[in-house]
Amino acid sequence: MSARTGKRVVLSPLLLTLALGFMCWGEAVAQDDAEIQVSVSPETIGLDEQAILEVIVSGSTQNIPDLQMPALPSFEVYSQGHSSNFSIVNGVVSSSVSYRYLLLPHKAGTYPIEGISITSGGKQIVGNKVTLTVTSRGQSSSPQLEQKAVDAQGSTRDYFLQATVDRKNSYVNEQVTLTLKFCIAVQYYSSPELNEPATTGFWTEVLGNTAPYFQKINGRSYRVIERKYALFPTQTGDLTVGRASITTTVAARVQRRDPFDLFGDLLPQGMQVTARSEPIALSVKPLPTSGKPADFTGTVGRFQIDARPDRTDVEVNQPVTVTFKIQGTGNVKSVAEPTIPDLPDFRVYRASSNESTSKSGDRLGGTKTYEEVFIPKRPGDLEIPALAFSYFDPERNKYESISTRAIKIAVKRPEGYVASPDIPYSGPTMMIGNQAQDIRYIKDQLGDLQRSGKLILLSPVYMLVNGLPVIALVGLIVARKRREKLEGNVGLARARGAGRKARKRLSRARSLADLSTYREFYGELSLAVMAYVADKLNVSPHGMTSDQLADLLRSKQVPDSLIEEAIGFLRQCDFARFAPATPSSDDLAGALATAEQVMVKMEGAKFA
Amino acid sequence: MRKLRMTVSLCVLIGVLGAAAAVAAPLSEFDAANLEFQNKLYDAAIAGYRSILTQGYESAPVYFNLGNAYFKKGDLGNAILNYLKARRLDPADDDIRSNLEFARRLTSVQLEGVTLNPITSLLESMTASWRLSTLAWVSSLLFILVIALLALRYGLAVFHPLVKPGLVVGLILLVGSSYLTTFKYRHDYLTRRAVIIAAQSEVRTGPSEQSDLELQGEPGLVVEVLAETGGYYNVLFENQRRGWIKKESVSVI
Repeated sequence: MSARTGKRVVLSPLLLTLALGFMCWGEAVAQDDAEIQVSVSPETIGLDEQAILEVIVSGSTQNIPDLQMPALPSFEVYSQGHSSNFSIVNGVVSSSVSYRYLLLPHKAGTYPIEGISITSGGKQIVGNKVTLTVTSRGQSSSPQLEQKAVDAQGSTRDYFLQATVDRKNSYVNEQVTLTLKFCIAVQYYSSPELNEPATTGFWTEVLGNTAPYFQKINGRSYRVIERKYALFPTQTGDLTVGRASITTTVAARVQRRDPFDLFGDLLPQGMQVTARSEPIALSVKPLPTSGKPADFTGTVGRFQIDARPDRTDVEVNQPVTVTFKIQGTGNVKSVAEPTIPDLPDFRVYRASSNESTSKSGDRLGGTKTYEEVFIPKRPGDLEIPALAFSYFDPERNKYESISTRAIKIAVKRPEGYVASPDIPYSGPTMMIGNQAQDIRYIKDQLGDLQRSGKLILLSPVYMLVNGLPVIALVGLIVARKRREKLEGNVGLARARGAGRKARKRLSRARSLADLSTYREFYGELSLAVMAYVADKLNVSPHGMTSDQLADLLRSKQVPDSLIEEAIGFLRQCDFARFAPATPSSDDLAGALATAEQVMVKMEGAKFA
Repeated sequence: MRKLRMTVSLCVLIGVLGAAAAVAAPLSEFDAANLEFQNKLYDAAIAGYRSILTQGYESAPVYFNLGNAYFKKGDLGNAILNYLKARRLDPADDDIRSNLEFARRLTSVQLEGVTLNPITSLLESMTASWRLSTLAWVSSLLFILVIALLALRYGLAVFHPLVKPGLVVGLILLVGSSYLTTFKYRHDYLTRRAVIIAAQSEVRTGPSEQSDLELQGEPGLVVEVLAETGGYYNVLFENQRRGWIKKESVSVI
């Protein structure tokens, strides 16, 4: 064995000893560090409810000793398992174990829970003390509920829906509280959907849902969801609250059909189920006739009334707003307001009204507030009389009559006031707002009578007025463009003006169609035709011979027949002008007609 | 020629007499209805004013007096409806504005929390006291002015130094007045508004009796009709709440 090997042999037990020592030191430290936290939630429960006791043991070691629980004789205790957590951060070891217990109480009382401990290394570490209060508020499951929880075969139901009412005989308009209880003992996957019960013949107000709680029925723990309604019968006789139903998805009990389907049991399968309540028959009796006040209008419950004016010193026609407040228990929305009698000294208008409901336990109540505007018609010390309000109190089984206090109003005479019972006062201060007095009087002039639904925007006159300027503008612009085009192109201008000029010459020739001036007549005719062609072709007519004209027309591919006709006519004119024989009147007329004919044909001809 | 002149004259005469006769009938009914109103026979007055309307005529005073008759009868919904119709025809009339405000102050429910677009509010205040026809004619005049200036500049080639600035100013004014006219038209005529006239009217979350109750409608509340289906209108209240209301519970302005 070499010296080096010998060192190793010596070092190894040393290291082992050090490591063990370190671990024991760590264990000792961990036991010193260990602590127990005990909590219970909720701290107050009902008899049929349950609480969760949670104990967390934490320390700086991985091996936390087992928990020692004290005896809890007042509860049934079910372990819900434990979970561990272990971590090393920057070389620091920490771990914790969380234990959960379900506590179901046997009887009401206040129970301290203490003495939860661990023992390690001979040392006992005790957790903090918590107190669980059990009240008797949790309803013990009623026989009806227990009966409902059992099906026809005698086995307990996984879920069911029960509807109950607090009374089956009531007065009309007296509150009947309907409670729907959905109890479910199995896991459900979807939020239950409620189909509300039919409450025909009732004024229905939803009182709300209670927070879900657990209740033991026939030894089985159910999760219970409650919803309550305030029903006010609006008619007498036998009424029925219809079935309600709740649909949700629960875990299905599926038989494994396929032996190779390994996941069949692992993956839960949902099944949509529906629970229905039974209909409930109610008997609604009419209110007693004996002792009914004359002003009773059907209000049932227990109420108080109060009336407060916003001011008591006003001028004539200045409004006094009186706020009436009726509050108490009962259906505040159906409270009939006291009737205001005809007051000769006031005009009365309703200003506003609103209701607010409130709950006192399961009883519905609220406040109805409304305003009446009293407008004094005359000056003096006027009075808004006390208004009587009667209701039937079903708890006391008798009618009650209460009233507001009378309100005295000091009404002053305004400046310029003229007493007139029929004509609404319309002094110079007539304004809208706080000084509002009355509507303004009707108009005696019919005004601008027009056909119904006639809109100026869509009328032909309006469209014409707006359309014509646009047409005029377009016309002007087109005319200007055309003018500019003609000014820039002499040939085109001459060609377009040829017809007009020719017509002028023919007209002049017609005035010369006399035997005394026949030479000028033929000269004018000849010039008219020659100038027409010259203008069309943008050449000078001066000095142009018939042959030159014929050549020009031929070059523009004018039909030969037309050329011959035109040339023939020009020669005829020349002949008539210079021949010694005097033509007859018919000759003159014929020449004129021929000239017109030639020009009409020329107008129709296309010059290439 | 003489025959033609006589025929034309006859036609004009018949036209004028016909128009005078057509106006005379509503006028006498209007006076009779006013007399009924003065005698506090409001139902008879309402029948009289409505008779003029059923003949296909309307005027701001007819709607105004009809609204007054309904108001005196205690029918706030129909009173406000007719004041609104009167105001549409004559927005500048102070009596109409005064009675409308007075009646609306007396409705059972005062809607609050109205948040209007500030631009819409500004445009509403700018056009509130103007009739649609007045705005339309102002726009029309400006349009003709702009067209005339365009004709001078581009049709008659007048290059006066004032033409171009005039054209720019005219165009700006035309765009402004046209926008206001369009806004007024949309606000008063294209946007369907209605007034709740029924004493009891439920506003529901859907167009059926089975739908939940959204709120309780009150006579005189003004709503904007957004859509309709079956016997229901989908309406928007002034406080921006929506719901479905039976058609017979409201009357479209």
